[in-house]
Amino acid sequence: MRWLSLLLLVGIGRLSAQSLSDVEIHGFVTQGFLFSSHNNYLTMQSSTGSLQWTDAAISFSDPLTNSLRVGIQLHMYQLGQLGGPNLHIDWASGDYRINDKLGFRAGKVKTVMGLFNDSQDIDAIFLWTLLPQCSYPVDNEGFFLAHLGGEVYGSLPIGERGGSLRYDGYAGESTLPLDGGFIKQLEDAGVLFTNAPSGKTYGGDIRWETPWKGLLVGFSPMVLAENGTAPGVSLHVPTFVMTAQYAQYARGKFYFAGEYDRAPFNEVLTMGQTTVPMPMDMRSWYVMGSYRLTRKIQAGSYYSHYINKAMDTSLPANYAKDWVLSGRYDFNSYFYGKVEGHFLRGNGIGFYASTNPNGLAPNSNMLAAKIGFSF
Amino acid sequence: MANRSVKISEIRSADLRAIYTGEKTRFADGSHVVPVTLKGGPAHEVFLRNHLGENPEEFRAQWRKAVFTGRGAMPKTFESELTLLEYVAATPGAIGYVSRISTQDDNVKSLPVVK
Repeated sequence: MRWLSLLLLVGIGRLSAQSLSDVEIHGFVTQGFLFSSHNNYLTMQSSTGSLQWTDAAISFSDPLTNSLRVGIQLHMYQLGQLGGPNLHIDWASGDYRINDKLGFRAGKVKTVMGLFNDSQDIDAIFLWTLLPQCSYPVDNEGFFLAHLGGEVYGSLPIGERGGSLRYDGYAGESTLPLDGGFIKQLEDAGVLFTNAPSGKTYGGDIRWETPWKGLLVGFSPMVLAENGTAPGVSLHVPTFVMTAQYAQYARGKFYFAGEYDRAPFNEVLTMGQTTVPMPMDMRSWYVMGSYRLTRKIQAGSYYSHYINKAMDTSLPANYAKDWVLSGRYDFNSYFYGKVEGHFLRGNGIGFYASTNPNGLAPNSNMLAAKIGFSF
Repeated sequence: MANRSVKISEIRSADLRAIYTGEKTRFADGSHVVPVTLKGGPAHEVFLRNHLGENPEEFRAQWRKAVFTGRGAMPKTFESELTLLEYVAATPGAIGYVSRISTQDDNVKSLPVVK
């Protein structure tokens, strides 16, 4: 954190020396609603209808020179019992682009992984009220979204007919937020962390914008490990590799995308002399498609699928399947509204013991809606 | 069209697209580029459709993504073609588009787009 503060101080120092008219300020606010037929979802009291889903962010960015830019984004979210009213730093970085083939970012940097990891909290850019939860669980986005460290990036032309390659490589530290879903699940099991578990992470992403207009394919590997201690308990997640392979096709009014993700790891909780292994082999994928009916109306559908292959996949706790129908209406360039129907089978993702004290039904249906403002 | 300081005399379609999607920040000769856009209107829509293959909503979403992930800054936008033209004329490295350039616009030059 020390050098992040230094970076910001350097940026602020330069800022005071030049015109503030170059500073760009953008932000967004969203308000969501969930109503589910059976289980309570995402720590909200969704079975009775819940509005406890608010997101807001404001970003400041300044180009200090043609090659150097600094910026910061402050973010707050409340999702049921997760998040809270406090602002936290979403990202804060210095970005030095030597040329289009090579640039560096340092600070708290958004983590590129799959099609949407680094942008999963930017509701305004998506048709979907909820992204495919098997791949981008909103209750844990605070963990995957960014890391503290550095990144090298660039774009490489590969010939007149080859399209272009974009790459990102990063290394740093990731932290399990105390107000996020992973910690909440441990809390529901009686393990109370007072310090956020953390660990080293490194990885990258390479995406090929193919010469076939609109078609993009990519691959992202991420290596990470986590360690933490709570009173009487320690958490150890040995180094493991997550991967994502994806493709996207956007042409005219049509949009299609698909992704396959895998995260095999062996989480171990140690309580005194007792060790509790929690083997996970998370495999998830989704396919989605959408069509823009008019300038203001967009509609689409996706199917999202998850299994924990390390456990009995016939049990609802070890799988999740979600059929989704979505619609979005843009009132103008700033305001929009969304509505979405979910048909959930299994409860391996997004359900918590504390908000479902009487157990979980294997299936539930859900209505999700959101309104948002972005400038 | 571009500011007179821009040294290239034509621009490849792929480069123009890369500049307006934020992937490139330099012209082919290595000099810094400052892309600007209109806020809306027929010239804006035609430019996006013909040169980027996008509609205004997709274009806006793409830049919102860049801004809110900390990976880019939105191009300056202008309400009218006249103010855009004045900005391009006064800003080294600037490129933009209008429905028509007058022969009296001495400080800008037209930049043909080639495949």
